[in-house]
Amino acid sequence: MMMRIGLLGLILIFSYPAQATVSKFQLDNGMKILVKEDHRAPVAVQQVWYRVGSNYEYGGISGLSHMLEHMMFKGTQKLEPGEFSKIVSKLGGQDNAFTSSDYTAYYQVVGKQHLEKVMELEADRMRNVVITEAEFQKERDVVTEERRWRTEDQPESKLYELFKATAFVNSPQHHPVIGWMTDIRHWTLQDVRHWYQKWYAPNNATLVVVGDVDPQQVYQWAQKYYGVHQAEQITSPKPRTEIEQAGERRIQLKGPTKSPSLMMGFHVPSLVTADNPAEVYALSVLGSVLDGDDSARLTKDLVRGSKVVAGASTSYDETSRLETLFRFDATPSKGKTLQEVEAALWKEIDKLKSTPVSHKELERVLAHAEAQYVFHQDSIQTQAMILGSLVSVGLPTDTYENWIENLRKVTPEQVQKVAQKYLKRDAVTVATLLPNGEEAKPASGQMMHGGIR
Amino acid sequence: MERLVVKWMLLITALLFSVQALANVNIQTWQTQKGSKVLYVHAPELPMVDVEVLFDAGSARDGDNWGIASMTAGLVGTATPKHSENSISETFNELGAQIGSSAGRDTASLHLRALTRPNILTPALDLMSEVISQSIFRPSILAREKARLLIGLKQKTVQPQAIVSDAMWAKLYGDHPYAHPTAGTIKTVQSLTPQQITDFYHKYYVARNAQVTIVGAVDRAQAEKIAEQLTRNLPSGNKPKALPEPKPLSQPHTILTRFDSSQTYYALAQIGVKRGDPDYYALFLGNHLLGGSGFGSLLMEEVREKRGLVYGVSSGFYPMKVAGPFQIGLSTKNASAAKADKVVKQTLSDFMEDFSDKKLAAIKSNLIGGFPLRIDSNSKIAGYISMIGFYNLPLDYLEQFPKKIESISKADILKAWNERIHPDKLLTVMVGQPQSK
Repeated sequence: MMMRIGLLGLILIFSYPAQATVSKFQLDNGMKILVKEDHRAPVAVQQVWYRVGSNYEYGGISGLSHMLEHMMFKGTQKLEPGEFSKIVSKLGGQDNAFTSSDYTAYYQVVGKQHLEKVMELEADRMRNVVITEAEFQKERDVVTEERRWRTEDQPESKLYELFKATAFVNSPQHHPVIGWMTDIRHWTLQDVRHWYQKWYAPNNATLVVVGDVDPQQVYQWAQKYYGVHQAEQITSPKPRTEIEQAGERRIQLKGPTKSPSLMMGFHVPSLVTADNPAEVYALSVLGSVLDGDDSARLTKDLVRGSKVVAGASTSYDETSRLETLFRFDATPSKGKTLQEVEAALWKEIDKLKSTPVSHKELERVLAHAEAQYVFHQDSIQTQAMILGSLVSVGLPTDTYENWIENLRKVTPEQVQKVAQKYLKRDAVTVATLLPNGEEAKPASGQMMHGGIR
Repeated sequence: MERLVVKWMLLITALLFSVQALANVNIQTWQTQKGSKVLYVHAPELPMVDVEVLFDAGSARDGDNWGIASMTAGLVGTATPKHSENSISETFNELGAQIGSSAGRDTASLHLRALTRPNILTPALDLMSEVISQSIFRPSILAREKARLLIGLKQKTVQPQAIVSDAMWAKLYGDHPYAHPTAGTIKTVQSLTPQQITDFYHKYYVARNAQVTIVGAVDRAQAEKIAEQLTRNLPSGNKPKALPEPKPLSQPHTILTRFDSSQTYYALAQIGVKRGDPDYYALFLGNHLLGGSGFGSLLMEEVREKRGLVYGVSSGFYPMKVAGPFQIGLSTKNASAAKADKVVKQTLSDFMEDFSDKKLAAIKSNLIGGFPLRIDSNSKIAGYISMIGFYNLPLDYLEQFPKKIESISKADILKAWNERIHPDKLLTVMVGQPQSK
């Protein structure tokens, strides 16, 4: 059985017409450049990835990387606040940015004839952003609104925040990407300026371009625009490796929700932190066996089978820069308790420990992964995202190209072994969300005409 | 943590951007023998195909059984006389093929994304064709899915954004078929029966009410074969009746729902336009400037960038089979709710009076220059041609769009907005604890 899939997979890989290789360059100042050609449409995406995110932060300044991301749109020595986005918009382009725990990235999608212009703009703000007190104060207000919208008014998001803060004691994974509200309120202008100086340097950045482009041309433009910046001394953050967990951790949150829910997490390695990368692929397969599609065990056994849960899922970031969590999320069906849900999840975990997964399940995981590999190429943004995120955590660019080959090597015994090694009762963090009884109160008699002013 | 995520505010964003694209999409269309419309674009570069079968069977067809269209779409493919739920999902999943269904107010659809290798595509299409025409609705599966949906519907009562959205549709549309939530309500979903679902399915999932869209690495002959296969076993049936025209509000109205949240969730709305309305181009272009283009837009400048009141604010038309809503949405801390409301209304009325030529030129340039971005993937192309087909837009719609945008003047925009948008009859919805100063 495995043989058949293996051969099919091989044929499949050699028949990808759009699977261009990645051209790699490096500037004298240390900036990495990755270019992938995709000539389906006259469009290009530029992404610049900085190796800094919330996991580079320490107590008191949480969320600063994300705040800096906002400030990057506030003008340079040459541009007014907001002008960057207006220029890109006028070119017909789209631009935005995102911050995660491991990186901050900026992107523009444009007609290919405008690529040089956005490279010039992005290179300018790598070192020349002007951060003023007035813009900083206004943007801090925006970020507090973002935090209210994203977290304060969302019990599930609050639960996740507490869950992570409980599972990670001394690792920077402890704090949220957006930052604690009190930290947000107490950042200073100097904090942001310092963070910018410290991390936004060419030797801490990767340029990724995907689209209807010529790699040599991109490299020449990169030399012209990014090449002018000096390399900086970049000091890696101190390790802050998470202390070992010895015993279950459990927290409860009450909030304005109607349905209770549960998160369970286990400390696991990522491809970056693992002594043995094969364990990571085995955990990835384990995740897909439980929750890759609607034939996976959680849906098949718990949603459709015993009907204990209304919904259940797993998540695992295989390419996290630091040790991460293998996570379960679940919501009970009507009439079922969180205890019953937890027991049902443990039963699934115990099954993985005691019985090897079937070859049929492995085949399904591979078929899914192979198809996804092609589907991901439909979007130039996704292609660039994958490359940028891998390089930014220190993984080789061909990690994704070799992904399926590595999954294919996973045996049922390996899956069983990682389940036994990592999904242990003494290493679990459980967070539960319970309704606090709050209702939305329709304000009878408060229907008004003509506004509330 | 994106600098801006607007998707929560306007249920609309996806469709907003689905109106324009570039000239060079070669759309082919024909009818199957059973009378279903087919739209096809050849995209040979990646070894994959997207196939959608769409019906005029959205929640506007619910009648009194609110939620039935959505539930039917969700249950199609859970059983056939030949196959059980587990075996259907296993077959698709073993092929790595993604099959899914969705329902909105206008349409319900099934979509398949699969590799085009024959030993994958053939069995995937065989099964898709079987579930489209031979689905049966097992009472036990309906009971389970009802129970799951009811948990979600209960949860919606504590989600301020959902409360805003439901209140907006309900008040704007009154007794029109668009008024109720697509998923139904706790009460209406509880009462759905297998027989009602079966009747709905037999009435609306019929060949003359079906449209097939195909985008991918299949040639015309293959596409014809696929479309025939997917519709061959459907009963011929008929198209449903046209929907009634909704009536606009005759006076302004404010709905305030007290809710224990740190922000007030806000919408300003009225009934907008339908697909194919000749004024749509001028309204759309104006909206792109007002609040439809993120950081380039006036609302974002006034409410976020100048005053720091919000994380996101946007506006949009939601053109549908008959007039869909026009909506401005935001959320802000309770203490700023009144201020944000005032700034939004002021920005709207200033915009409807006049705006700078420079800004108009920039926003036109954004729309025209950005066309290639709208069609740079198979999934985007599939979305457009499906829309063009369902709303009976001309096949050269994409080609025409930039030309139309180019030709619109400031006077055209101001005229269309002043005729169609009535600042003195707007609906304001607030959920939270807005403070009056």
